Amino acid sequence: MTDRRETWLLLIPGLALLVLGFVLPIGRMLVLSVQDANGYSLEHFVRFFQDSYYPLVLWRTVYLSAVITFFCLLIGFPLTYIMAHSTPRVRLWLIIMVILPLMTSVVVRTFGWMVLLNRSGLLSTALRDLGLGGRSFQLMHTEAAIVLGMVQVLLPFMVLSLLGVLLRHDPRLEEAARTMGCSFLQTIRTVVLPLALPGIVAGSILVFTLSASSFVTPSLLGGARLEVLAGSIYKNVTQTLDWNFAAAQAVILFAGIALLLIPYLRLGARGHG
Amino acid sequence: MVRAVPTWLRIAAWCFVLLTGLLLLAPLVVVVGVSVSESQFIVFPPQGFSLRWYEKALSTPAFLDAFWLSLGLATLVTATATVIGGAAAIGLSRGRQGSQLETFFLSPLVLPSIIFAIGLLMLWSTLFGTTSFYVLWLAHTVIALPYVIRTTLAVLAERDPYVNEAARTMGAGRLQRLLLVTLPQCIPGLAAGAFFAFNISFDEAVLSLFLRNPNLTTLPVQIYGQLEFSPDPTVAAVSTVMIMITLVLMVLLERLMGLNRFASG
Repeated sequence: MTDRRETWLLLIPGLALLVLGFVLPIGRMLVLSVQDANGYSLEHFVRFFQDSYYPLVLWRTVYLSAVITFFCLLIGFPLTYIMAHSTPRVRLWLIIMVILPLMTSVVVRTFGWMVLLNRSGLLSTALRDLGLGGRSFQLMHTEAAIVLGMVQVLLPFMVLSLLGVLLRHDPRLEEAARTMGCSFLQTIRTVVLPLALPGIVAGSILVFTLSASSFVTPSLLGGARLEVLAGSIYKNVTQTLDWNFAAAQAVILFAGIALLLIPYLRLGARGHG
Repeated sequence: MVRAVPTWLRIAAWCFVLLTGLLLLAPLVVVVGVSVSESQFIVFPPQGFSLRWYEKALSTPAFLDAFWLSLGLATLVTATATVIGGAAAIGLSRGRQGSQLETFFLSPLVLPSIIFAIGLLMLWSTLFGTTSFYVLWLAHTVIALPYVIRTTLAVLAERDPYVNEAARTMGAGRLQRLLLVTLPQCIPGLAAGAFFAFNISFDEAVLSLFLRNPNLTTLPVQIYGQLEFSPDPTVAAVSTVMIMITLVLMVLLERLMGLNRFASG
């Protein structure tokens, strides 16, 4: 037996598993989306884009994902910067703070938000007491609820994407900038941000992708009125049983994600061993 | 020497960290709070203290069945993902196939599972009529596999390559080197990967929701169903159990591999 043979023997079970459970299903989904009762056609896609409802769902998905990504970056970057600059002991606690929610089921975390956001919940009550919103005001079933819940769900992904990049810098670069007369904010802008750019891009793409394809949190916090694309796919598969149409919507989601992901996968494959 | 960070900023930074911690941990704290409340409604802050919702959860067959299903599933997924992923990682670490193959192996990590959930459901339904435990096992193994591969590859990248050479010079055969040299070198990575695999499978909701049927309801799916209709504090008790399991896994992971190292890798 040669080295090559042994290597392939090690790889084959994994390859077989991925073909069976990953590649074939994606292929089946692609075929399903262009099938109708009489053979092949693009009618499901035409229906999606000509409808008055679904383009709105698509737009809401894109725009909410963009807002969620923006907030994850806005909170995630300073948090990760602080993590990278703290002592290993403090950093460990901060990492626990980020990873514990990440490793907890999305269903459980969404439940927590439901308790906080509903009419009698802590957050809705607090906002009413501050005089914001009317007597029947509640945060549940608003876009704000979706954004808040999703930022909590996805922030850890942003932090972990940034942390590796920020820890890899030579800290002396920042010191040098400061010694040469840069203010703290100037150093951030001219030294730290440009160096962190690969992590910022990778993290944003990851968060956007995950956000655009989530339905558990958006449908529980947003309700039926604020449907997103993934929620619509789930509804078509489990309730209206229109699988072809669901597959077409998944292809639209897949196409959008692929456009973002292909460059990301290239980056990722080069980035770590 | 220039002070790296001005004092006002240092204070602002700590306030910011506290607020972010609140954002990240609030939903978990709330769930735990609701679960020990005496009130029969879902209220936070909790009113009084009681463990009655845990008792009720333990006497609800739907939750018990879902728990055992999730536990069995996660255990099997852990075993298969660790063995298959470990082998694949060793294969990949020999590195003559280029990074394309690695990208392929890691792609379930970045491609959202909703994309292949429909295809999996469709394939399985046309072949066997309905979904079964096996399809869930397959689906969860697919998404757990990349985690095992990543942790094992990370460990393999840091090993001493000369040990293997030494073993060969001393006359160890191919299988001996694989089992007695490479495999022991992989163990920290395999163990960390196994914990991730268990966590992924036990908490997974998307694939389980698509592939569910009345006899195939995992714990997250059971909770999701309750949240859609009539959540009562029993759901909080079950959710708290899930949080505790996560906590235990995280502590084990820290002991085994160091979260610091994993998080910055």
